[in-house]
Amino acid sequence: MKWLSSLVGMAILALASTAMAADVELSFYYPVAVGGPITKTIDGYAADFEKENPGIKIKAIYAGTYQDTLVKALTAFKSGEPPDVAVLLSTDMFTLIDEDAVMPFDPLLQSDADKAWAKSFYPAFMENSQTGGKTWGIPFQRSTIVMYWNKDAFKAAGLNPDKAPDNWDELVAYGQKLTKRDGSNVSQWGVEIPSTGFPYWLFQGLTTANGVRLMNDAGTETYFDKATVIEALQYWVDLSRKEKIQPTGTIEWGTTPKDFFERKTAIMWTTTGNLTNVKANAPFPFGVAMLPEHNGRGSPTGGGNFYLFKKMTAEKSAAAIKFVKWMTTPERAADWGIKTGYVAVRPDAWDTPALKQYVADFPAAAVARDQLKYAVAELSTHDNQRVTKALNDGLQAALNGTKTPEQAMKDAQQEATRILRSYK
Amino acid sequence: MNAHLQTSRVSAALERTGAWLLAFLWVLPLAYALWAAIHPSAYSAHFTLNAPLTLENFVKAWNAAPFARYFMNTFMLVTMILTAQLVLCTLAAYAFARFKFYGRELAFVLVLLQLMIMPDVLIVENYRTMTAAGIVDTIPAIGLPYMASAFGIFLLRQTFKTVPSELDEAARVEGAGPLQVLLKLYVPLAKPIYIAYGLVSISYHWNNFLWPLIITNSVSTRPLTVGLQIFASSDQGIDWSLIAAATLMTSAPLLTAFLLFQRQFVQSFMRAGIR
Repeated sequence: MKWLSSLVGMAILALASTAMAADVELSFYYPVAVGGPITKTIDGYAADFEKENPGIKIKAIYAGTYQDTLVKALTAFKSGEPPDVAVLLSTDMFTLIDEDAVMPFDPLLQSDADKAWAKSFYPAFMENSQTGGKTWGIPFQRSTIVMYWNKDAFKAAGLNPDKAPDNWDELVAYGQKLTKRDGSNVSQWGVEIPSTGFPYWLFQGLTTANGVRLMNDAGTETYFDKATVIEALQYWVDLSRKEKIQPTGTIEWGTTPKDFFERKTAIMWTTTGNLTNVKANAPFPFGVAMLPEHNGRGSPTGGGNFYLFKKMTAEKSAAAIKFVKWMTTPERAADWGIKTGYVAVRPDAWDTPALKQYVADFPAAAVARDQLKYAVAELSTHDNQRVTKALNDGLQAALNGTKTPEQAMKDAQQEATRILRSYK
Repeated sequence: MNAHLQTSRVSAALERTGAWLLAFLWVLPLAYALWAAIHPSAYSAHFTLNAPLTLENFVKAWNAAPFARYFMNTFMLVTMILTAQLVLCTLAAYAFARFKFYGRELAFVLVLLQLMIMPDVLIVENYRTMTAAGIVDTIPAIGLPYMASAFGIFLLRQTFKTVPSELDEAARVEGAGPLQVLLKLYVPLAKPIYIAYGLVSISYHWNNFLWPLIITNSVSTRPLTVGLQIFASSDQGIDWSLIAAATLMTSAPLLTAFLLFQRQFVQSFMRAGIR
């Protein structure tokens, strides 16, 4: 009789699942304002997914910047109506865990194929997606910092236009040749490393090259006042104040690409997410290179992960995991990377014909990928917003000259320690 | 010429310079926005007199998001809120100013208490209410928390209190009912206050951002401010010309209204004593 009851059970289950299947609607919070080309891409993906998976509806909700999306998602969560799936900053992982808002992927990944899928991403991206032995985020739109240089400016300064500065000393030497002065005015700077918005991220491009990490994996400790960190900041400050190859004070993140296009700076550091923008708007031939090395090489990763919110029914979470898997297949990752400039998140995406062709036509696209083996996690701790603010304030104080690098980093560390005390 | 006259002349000159200086500072961002909006983006930081003029920035900004729809949403939102506020606040203020009822003082204190609380603190609670009512992602949901405005009630109550009670009594002797007295006597006398309050309310809700962002999910309900977000994503860098064009475009109705009704606005503000 046992087979009979299990058969009945299966029939009921099948019936129930078909009945339920018609109803599954996933709300998907995505950090972009309505209207841009990215909205159309996401809408297209959602429509394709619905076609291939009848019974699941994706309700994409575009919520503006990452910050706005986080606020919106957490408000909705606290009001008892959380989103089901959301793309949020990978660095907000600890914040989301502390709010008890998201669930780990692991319990949903039982089959071997599922487990293999969770391992198919670049390890550098998973650093910001796992903690305490669990996977909380799946990489989707991820980036790193790269260096863009103006080949015309290099030629004009008597430098080899096809070779970017490869280490800190070269960056200074090239910068001095590239900086054009007439009297006290500078018409072209050697380099711009932006320092507004999220200066800590660009700073990690320097600290990583100096062989030091800013926090531990558990997100409970920071190392802002280590000698090597202070040294990295000293180098950054010196670019402006001692070598005079970078504008003094803070440099606006949003307008750095424009400075580059207008030849106000010959070299800029910015996200790979800007690649498509630079390709479309730079009026001169440009090159893309890894960040220069010092005691090592490296860049932080950045960008957004998929998160699953709590309070989902079993049907919904099954549909959600299906959706996340569908969005991160090698083909989709390749397509997404080509359309946006983000780094395709898994190695096998780079073997797809589409991406191979793209890289062949535009080799700069592969620089970010090649740099990934040196990449480290973006600064992320518990109470992330406040800890990064402590560091940002310190960095800007040093760049503006109101504090010495040493003092600035000691103060930032003290503040971070105070904030993190309750999480140990 | 005596010394007294001279000092007053000096102080008048000082005042005039000060006013010009303030006006200049005030108009500077606006002038820059205009400059950036009507020139190609290459000229957004180069001030050359013979820079080519263009309207392309406006076209681009307009096409970047469904702005026609956003304009309509904002218009409906602002009209709805203002109408509801005027009706509710008038009635409540009238009751607080001219009727004696049990618990009036306590009720008024409760209304005043609302003035002390920042609306942002209540976002989660408001969201929960809207969820329970099933109206998340609708235009009424954006407006609902603001309709019973404590500020409006307070302002109108104070104004109604200054109306001499002799007038009220005279009207009643003539046989006017309470509602008639309100409409024929109090409301006309408080006209400058209504205009001033209306302006404050319209500009506040025209510019409100956080709550509309959180409570709306779709194009059909989002107001302009949320739509403007598209230019704020600084991942790709900022194009000042586009931002300037979009900003001018979205604030144009308010600016034109202000220029058209300037005199009334200034007068009613002076009479209402609010900034």
